[in-house]
Amino acid sequence: MTEPALRSSFTRTFWVNAIFAPRTSLGFMRLDFVLGTIFIIPLTQMTFFAFVASLSGTPGGVAFVVVGNAVATVTYSSVFSVCQTTDNEKEAGTMEHLLVSPANRFALYFGRGLIPVLASLATVAVAIVYAVTIFHVPFAGGSVGDLAVSITLTAFAMVGFGLLLGGVALYLRTSIILGNIFLFLGLLLSGANFPLSVLPLPLQYVGDLLPLTWGISAVRAALAGAPLGTMLTLWGYVALCGIVSIGLSMALWNTFERRALSTGSIARF
Amino acid sequence: MGASTYSRRVSLVAVLRLSVLTFLADPQWLVPSLIAPVIFGLVSYELFTGAGPWFVLYAILGAGMMSMWGQTLYGSGWATGQDRHLGTLEPTLTAPTPYVYVVLGRVIWNTVAGLFGGLIVFVVVAITYGHPIPLANPLEFLLMFVFVIVTLAAVGVVFAAAYVYTRYAGFVQNVGEFAFYIGTGCMFPVVLLPFWSNPISLVLPPTWALDALRYLAIPGYQGFGWGFWWDMVGAVGTTLLYLGIAASVFRRVERHVLEAGDLNDW
Repeated sequence: MTEPALRSSFTRTFWVNAIFAPRTSLGFMRLDFVLGTIFIIPLTQMTFFAFVASLSGTPGGVAFVVVGNAVATVTYSSVFSVCQTTDNEKEAGTMEHLLVSPANRFALYFGRGLIPVLASLATVAVAIVYAVTIFHVPFAGGSVGDLAVSITLTAFAMVGFGLLLGGVALYLRTSIILGNIFLFLGLLLSGANFPLSVLPLPLQYVGDLLPLTWGISAVRAALAGAPLGTMLTLWGYVALCGIVSIGLSMALWNTFERRALSTGSIARF
Repeated sequence: MGASTYSRRVSLVAVLRLSVLTFLADPQWLVPSLIAPVIFGLVSYELFTGAGPWFVLYAILGAGMMSMWGQTLYGSGWATGQDRHLGTLEPTLTAPTPYVYVVLGRVIWNTVAGLFGGLIVFVVVAITYGHPIPLANPLEFLLMFVFVIVTLAAVGVVFAAAYVYTRYAGFVQNVGEFAFYIGTGCMFPVVLLPFWSNPISLVLPPTWALDALRYLAIPGYQGFGWGFWWDMVGAVGTTLLYLGIAASVFRRVERHVLEAGDLNDW
C-alpha cells in the first residue's frame, strides 16, 4: 500500500513542480522571455562576439567564438533562471510551507529543472543552427548524433549547476547577484571566447570545475567530428559535473532544511 | 520663484537624495551592472591581444559603455518598472510635481553611478593591460566619456517614459541588450556592420557619441566618413531629440493617466 503511494507522490511532486515552477518560482520563464532566450539572445550574443573577433583579426577567431557563445547562451535559461527558484520561494513567503511538506525533495527540486532543461536544449540547438547557417561554422557530416548527445548532456549539467546555485542562494538574501556572476563568468573561464590555456593557471582550474567548459569542449569536438573515444571522455566530464552539482545542491537543501527546522525560522537567511 | 518651480526643485532634490540613500543602503546593485562589463572588457581585451596597443581602448570603451548601459540606461529605464512593482507609480503620477522631475532625479544619480562603473572597468582593464593606457587627449577623453553617458541617459529617459505604457520593460532590456551593444557599435566601429543597418544605428545617440569618442582617442581611427565634428553634431542633435520625445511622452502619459484614473490598462 505504501509503496505505490510513495511512487505516486514522487511522480506527482516531480510533474507538479515541472509544470508549475516556470509560472511561479523560476525566474524569466514567461513565454516572451523564453522565446527571446531561445531565438534572439543567441543570435545577438554570437553576432556581437563575432564582430569583436573579426576586428581583432584572430585567425579562426570568428568560428571559435561563435561556437563558444552558441553553447554559453544556455546559461540564461539553465543557470540564471533556475538559481532564482529558492529566492522567489522566500520572497513569496512559501518557503516555510515547502519545508514542512512531506514532498520528496529530489522530485521537488529536480522537477523544477525539467522545463529549463528543455529550454536549454532548444537554446543551444537553435544557436548551433545559427552558427552553421549564418556564420558558416564547419560541421562534420555524420556527427549529428554526437552533437545531440553533447547538447543534451550540457543542458542537464547546466541545469544541475543552476540548482546548485539555487542551493547556495538558500543562504543568501538574493540570488540575482549569484546568477549574474555565473551568467557572465562562463564567458571568461569556460573557453567560450579563447582557449583556457591563455588564462593564469588558478583560473584554468576554476574553469575546469564549470560544466559549461566541458559542454563547450564536447560541442566543439562533435562539430569537428572527433572520434568516439574523445567524445566519451568529454561526455563523462559533462555528466560528472552535472551529477556533482545536483548532489551538492541536494546536500545544501538538506542542511538548510535541518537548520531551519531546528531554529524554527528561515528569517535569518 | 513660483510655487511650482519650488515644488519641482524640491522634488528633484528629494528624489536624487532618495536614489543616493537607496543605493548606499543596498549597493549590491552596482555588482550586476559591473560584472558583465568587467568580464566583457577582459574577454575583449584577451581577444584584442596582439592586435596593437590602440585596441586596448576598444576593450575599455566598449566595456565602459556596457557598464554605463547597466547603470544609466537600465537604471533609468527601469525607474518606471520599479514604481509599478512597488505600487508607487499611481501616487507619484498624481503628485503635484510632474513625473518627469521624479525620473530626472533618478537619471542624474544613475548617471553618476554609471561613471563610477565606467571608471572601475577602466581601472580593471588597465591593470590587466599592465602598461599606461595610450590616451592621445586624456582631458578631452574624460569629457567625451561623460558626454557618452549623457547620450545613454537620454535613451534611458525615453525608455522610462515609454515603459509606463508597457509591462515588457524587462523583456526589452534583457533580450535587447546585445542588440543595443551591436547597434551602437560599443566594441567595434558601426561601419563594420552591414550598410542597411547603419540608419538604425544612427537613430541611437550613443552611436554618434562613441564614434566621436574613438575619433578623439584613437589615432587613425576609421569610423563614419564625416569625422569627429559631424559625429558631435549628430550626437547633440539626437540627444536633444530624445529628450524632446521623452518630455512629450511624459506629458502624454500624465494626461492619459489622469483621464483614465488608473494604469491597469497598461
